[in-house]
Amino acid sequence: MNRYFRELSVAAALVLVLASLAVLAPGFYQAQPLLSLATREAPALVVACGMAVVIICRQIDISVGSQFAVVTVCAGLLAAERWPAPLVALAAVGLGAGLGAINGALVAGLRLPSIVVTLATMVTWREALRWQRQGAFVNLPDSLQWLGLPQAAGQWVLIALALVVLVTLALGLRQLAAGRFVYAVGSDAEAARLAGIRPARVTFSSFVLLGALTGLAAMMNVVQSPQVDPKSGTGLELKTIAAVVVGGVAISGGRGSLWGVFAGLLLLACIAPALTHLRIEPYWEKAIQGAIILLAVVADGVRSRKGRS
Amino acid sequence: MSAPSGKAFVLRHETVLLFVVVAEWCCFNALGPRFGTLDNSFDILRHTVEIGLLALAMTPVILTGGIDLSVGSLLGLCAILFGKLWRDAGLPPEVAAGCTLIFGALAGGLNAALITALRLPPLIVTLGTYSLFRGLAEAITRGADTFTNFPPSFLFLGQERWLGLPTQAWLFLVVAAGIWVLVHRMTYGRTYRAIGFAPEGARFAGVPVQGRIAGVYVLAGLVAALAAIIYTARLGQAKADAGTGYELFAITAVVLGGTSIFGGIGSVHGTLLGVAAIAILNNGLVHARQPREVAGMLTGALLLLALSSSVLPKLFAAWRRPPPAPVRSTPSPPT
Repeated sequence: MNRYFRELSVAAALVLVLASLAVLAPGFYQAQPLLSLATREAPALVVACGMAVVIICRQIDISVGSQFAVVTVCAGLLAAERWPAPLVALAAVGLGAGLGAINGALVAGLRLPSIVVTLATMVTWREALRWQRQGAFVNLPDSLQWLGLPQAAGQWVLIALALVVLVTLALGLRQLAAGRFVYAVGSDAEAARLAGIRPARVTFSSFVLLGALTGLAAMMNVVQSPQVDPKSGTGLELKTIAAVVVGGVAISGGRGSLWGVFAGLLLLACIAPALTHLRIEPYWEKAIQGAIILLAVVADGVRSRKGRS
Repeated sequence: MSAPSGKAFVLRHETVLLFVVVAEWCCFNALGPRFGTLDNSFDILRHTVEIGLLALAMTPVILTGGIDLSVGSLLGLCAILFGKLWRDAGLPPEVAAGCTLIFGALAGGLNAALITALRLPPLIVTLGTYSLFRGLAEAITRGADTFTNFPPSFLFLGQERWLGLPTQAWLFLVVAAGIWVLVHRMTYGRTYRAIGFAPEGARFAGVPVQGRIAGVYVLAGLVAALAAIIYTARLGQAKADAGTGYELFAITAVVLGGTSIFGGIGSVHGTLLGVAAIAILNNGLVHARQPREVAGMLTGALLLLALSSSVLPKLFAAWRRPPPAPVRSTPSPPT
């Protein structure tokens, strides 16, 4: 009970929100809007899983939004060149991993602080993309949309894919030696080194993993629409970091689980549709999101202070 | 980061940066015919004051080992609040400005309270307020409301000259001088670097660490409010998206200026040079008929280069050392 207190409290908050929505705005529970909401959030879940790994490793990556945009546009261009869909997906994941590797090399290889490195790559990729594309949309061939499936089937495939990523990573982090290494390095890199782990490699790998997952998420985004928006992914870093923090992963590394992240993301994803159904102006979304982040960290802070005294 | 002969290192970094700034100036002067004129210099100055102010306020924050991501959003919120107080509450601009400054300090106080009283990591607290402040600005204006038609006596602050310089440049100089004296010449401010270098050590030396850290964030909020007023006066309008992304430029300028992101090392004059380097790059590229995006790209690249240049010699030295001991001084991770 105590071990999963943080995850359970997020889940409780989520249940509370869902229950109050059921009472106040039953219109929220309609199959079709909920399905498209879940599909829209599926890429964010994939990125949030990768972000959780990086944050557990005591690093942070604020360039995921820009990586997402770069991969989205490149995947769109390849698809427009009539590349087959599996090849495009492979290229997207590979490109994402490559972008993640650049961050990883700078952070793990040169020992630079991740917040500043990814701040720099965030600006660089975003501006480079704007420069190259001048904001032009990419038109996609029809065959790529929903992977050529009917829409409902395509939506379920994307949701299932996101859940597979979540479960695989959650189990991997808990059961695999590589997963435990991430916690070890995040808790204390020097102790991990003395225990025979190479912190630099673990850090590098976690950035590559996040990049690859961002590439996958970008691909999941591409198949959802007939066009590719070069501005896509703006604010994705904030959304995923918020989900990770609300989900109980300690920003100081070494603690947290992906189940909490899942609950955190669902909680944040519910805000916008809930506001619409409760007839509150949608402009409050960002403020409420910020308040939830602060509430989560304050709860963490109060709890750890109590634990100490 | 340990500082091997700290003073020489700092001196070297800033001298190099000064050289870069001068080289930039000469280079753009040769490329763009209108770049070197007095009018354009004033133009650069006008456009830089707000980001410069945020960078100045960010310097003590980063010196203590913290970070404040919320300054850009706070600028937006303060601009909205100022417009609201002036137009809807009917206050004269001076009174509205005073209230805005107080509000900025209070908002900085919120960051300070969460960071010091609950010992939460500044990165995540200010990420939360980054979202909160911008969200409040959007909620107050419903995403569309803008404030315009300010009286000329107020616009004088942002669009006219006073004693030969753009009016806001004087304010900037006063704040720059004030923060320089605070950080480099006052016992109070000199503790910032001690705190950033080793918070526990500073505490044992009798420094009220949490109080000093709180002060730094309140100062950042206050300066962000001042920047908001100047921003409104320069553009003649206040919108909810004012200052979006400014926190990135401010952090870039501070790090470019030689301040260690881990705290403990850095200077205010370095930050000023960093601001100048970015401002000249942005304006010069426009005059050299390059797309605006190239300036953004180069700013990011410049930041990476500045970071690497401070680390590479140490790594190289570590490799060259006969017993191939791994580098022990693992930088402390972001908190």
